[in-house]
Amino acid sequence: MAASDVVFRVKRYRPESGGRPTFQEYTIPYRSDMVVLDGLNYIKDHIDPTLTFRWSCRMGICGSCGADVNGQPRLTCGTYVRDVHKGAVTVEPLSNFPILKDLVVDFDDFLRKLASVTPYIVRKDWGDLTKEYVQYPEDVEAYRQQSLCINCMLCYAACPVFGSSPEFVGPAASALALRYNRDTRDEGADARLARLNTRTGVWECTFVGECSVVCPKDVDPAAAIQTLKFLATMRHMRRLLMPGSSSR
Amino acid sequence: MPMTSREYAWKRRPGWWLRNRRYLMFQLREAGGVICALYGLVLLNMLVQLRAGESAYTAFLDLLRTPPVLYLNVVLFALVVWHALTWFMLIGKAQPIQFTRQPLPWKVVFGINVLLWLGVSGAVVYLIFGGI
Repeated sequence: MAASDVVFRVKRYRPESGGRPTFQEYTIPYRSDMVVLDGLNYIKDHIDPTLTFRWSCRMGICGSCGADVNGQPRLTCGTYVRDVHKGAVTVEPLSNFPILKDLVVDFDDFLRKLASVTPYIVRKDWGDLTKEYVQYPEDVEAYRQQSLCINCMLCYAACPVFGSSPEFVGPAASALALRYNRDTRDEGADARLARLNTRTGVWECTFVGECSVVCPKDVDPAAAIQTLKFLATMRHMRRLLMPGSSSR
Repeated sequence: MPMTSREYAWKRRPGWWLRNRRYLMFQLREAGGVICALYGLVLLNMLVQLRAGESAYTAFLDLLRTPPVLYLNVVLFALVVWHALTWFMLIGKAQPIQFTRQPLPWKVVFGINVLLWLGVSGAVVYLIFGGI
């Protein structure tokens, strides 16, 4: 290996041949400005076209290229090799998810959970759709942080609770539920809190906090979940003490 | 979660909590919670011994003063303190109720909680021992 090379240890899983995932090493030219995704693309373009991984925007927006890099969930497009290069760069599929092929994991379970919290504006009556639903800057600021979520799944890969209890609704879906509950145009907060105030909802969270550490967009899902616990408790008490109260 | 036949099921590695420092601190926090509960049983047993009579109570206190139990208490106390401190750290990171326009930095909330804790602990020690 030349001094200007770097070794990539990539976990491979070939569903057509079965068996366990194994590591494969690739030695590629090193550049100080290369990100891990550049390395994977170099391998695919020049060494091994069978290597399979997801990517799209290459600028930390689409959330497709998440992988465990040296044991930590990261967006490979936003991780410089120079920052993680300790002899070799180890790239594995995101933890806590079934592997489809190589670095590609199955997100279907997350998508079902996301759908269960209705991650869109819910209204009982849309009324006149030509009319504007005005929001002031402070209204937007109330949910701006959670709205930055790009569904990259790094938070699920980092969450040991999700690893041991796969039915847990999880960090990103919870953060997005809070995002819509805080939207002044939305009227679906009660149903979302009912979903989250269940055994598989926010109460599974034991506040490890790693989801917020690995989040590339500073969404802070751990704090969102704690806020939802408080809101779910308030909803429960309100329904107990004032059965006829409004949903918000 | 349901899987198709060719998917490879993810398996958690033994010792996953040694993967990074934060997982280790989390596990110690959880262990501290269990220790808190178990130590509650020791205190309950103390009440049982007290009810059983002076000799039983004295024997139990003598047992608590033996070196192995004292060393064990030091370890347990450290875990209980860690458990409390970690929760104080988390309070500031999850502020569902904000008393200020902007959330307070978590270190400020942590400091306030530790000061309150030391104050209450000092008051309890003063009440029991009549001064340190």
